[in-house]
Amino acid sequence: MLNFIFDAASVEPGDFTGFTFFIGSVSMLAATVWFLMQHGQVDKKFKDSMLVAALITGIAAVHYFYMREQWVLTQTSPTELRYIDWILTVPLMVVEFALLTGVGMRKLFWLSVVMLVTGYFGESGIVGGEAWMWGLFSGAAYFLMAYEVGCLSLFGGPSGAVGNALNKGGGKIADGGRMLQWFVLVGWAIYPLGYMMGTDAGQWYEGMSSIPLDMNVVYNIGDAINKIGFGMAVWYAAKG
Amino acid sequence: MSKILLSKLLGLILSLSIIFFGLESSYSTLLFLIIMLTIGIPHGSVDHIVAFINPKARRFKSKFIFYLVYLSLIIANTILWIISPFIGLALFLVISCYHFGETQVIGFHNTSNKLLNFVVGANILLSLFLNNIIELQGILNVIPFFSEFDLSNFNRVFFLLVSVSVLMISVINFDIKRKVPLYAEITILYMIFYHTDLLTSFAIYFGFCHSLPMLILEFEEFNEKNIIKFYLKTLPFTILSLIFGLLLYIYDSNLFTNDNVILFIFIIISSLTLPHVFIMKDFVKDK
Repeated sequence: MLNFIFDAASVEPGDFTGFTFFIGSVSMLAATVWFLMQHGQVDKKFKDSMLVAALITGIAAVHYFYMREQWVLTQTSPTELRYIDWILTVPLMVVEFALLTGVGMRKLFWLSVVMLVTGYFGESGIVGGEAWMWGLFSGAAYFLMAYEVGCLSLFGGPSGAVGNALNKGGGKIADGGRMLQWFVLVGWAIYPLGYMMGTDAGQWYEGMSSIPLDMNVVYNIGDAINKIGFGMAVWYAAKG
Repeated sequence: MSKILLSKLLGLILSLSIIFFGLESSYSTLLFLIIMLTIGIPHGSVDHIVAFINPKARRFKSKFIFYLVYLSLIIANTILWIISPFIGLALFLVISCYHFGETQVIGFHNTSNKLLNFVVGANILLSLFLNNIIELQGILNVIPFFSEFDLSNFNRVFFLLVSVSVLMISVINFDIKRKVPLYAEITILYMIFYHTDLLTSFAIYFGFCHSLPMLILEFEEFNEKNIIKFYLKTLPFTILSLIFGLLLYIYDSNLFTNDNVILFIFIIISSLTLPHVFIMKDFVKDK
């Protein structure tokens, strides 16, 4: 079993990917402490939001400690651990929208189920079918989520019920909401890229994996921005 | 901070310590036994008081009738396990789903929606079993069709994904007052279930998310000023439960278990749980 307190393997000098795992783990932990501290400072109606923000980074911190350990010891991508982290934290990020706007989370939850399940089917190949097809379903669910939370409204386009509620929110909710919409639109878009790089064999997008870029670094930076940034946006809305 | 939340936080800290310090799996049986003996069994050891202290509780005409019904249910359940482990397990699961769910929703919704109670409990048990399904397959070798089921094509991420998806679908389809905190709390449980083995997962959930909160509620209901005095009240029946387990083992250590200690413990828990569920059902009615 991994033991990353007393017997943690050290990141070797020059191991930039390992370093980003390390930074990921400590920054997630620091963010968790920060959000928990702020939990006591915000208005009562935002307490659940702050708790969920802390939970997202807390769960990520646990998994980043694991991932760093696996990377340092084996230099292999911790895909399984990453998926576990996403499976647990993505629905919680979706929940933040419901908490901020008061709009039900039914549609977003269903879409996140479709996004995660089809994405996993495509990456694991356990049910057959082409990876591009599963990726398309997963991507469509992501696009619908982006629409629902009002990402298109950033450019004057239409928006779903959650986006409308965010845009009309009082106090700093509208500002915080806009930050969240950017996170979903830009921050979450790196995950389809990672999917394509991981499943490109025999697909029309073959060759993606040869891009001279360590996907772990991209994922680690993306995760840190998305998860901590998401919580910070919620905190910004809550403290108003 | 409420005492119940504090209890759950204790469980979280313990489980994170287990994950971080990398507790060897050989210690999980010891951890399980310690939690069961100090928290798990004691929370049901005051049923004979709970059954009479709550005015809204099931009315037994006398203590004699209470003990008769209570012990009969324990014996009937044990015999059921001997005759058919499959039916014994099925009954245990159905009853546990309801009971665990009922206590889990306290603080998030009232316990009047029986279907919600069942579904929440079923979600927790489903995740507990799915995240440790290979281990469970080895334990439940008395149920042939399950033990022979080929699970080699599925990995653990798949089972976690199934658990989370079912939870999301369950949460959105029920009217729950504090939907998000309930979902968030169960998510933490799922993380623990994934990263610890079956015994540790069950011990942490059963001890700190179920039994300790119930012990706290019982303590408050009893209006006892001294917690030690209250705890002493749980000792006689905790010791009797141990003797029951010991007698069962002496009777025939291989009868149920083929030397499978975990299954043996499950049978004892199942037998003790059956009557306890009926007492608790009334106890938590207005919680």
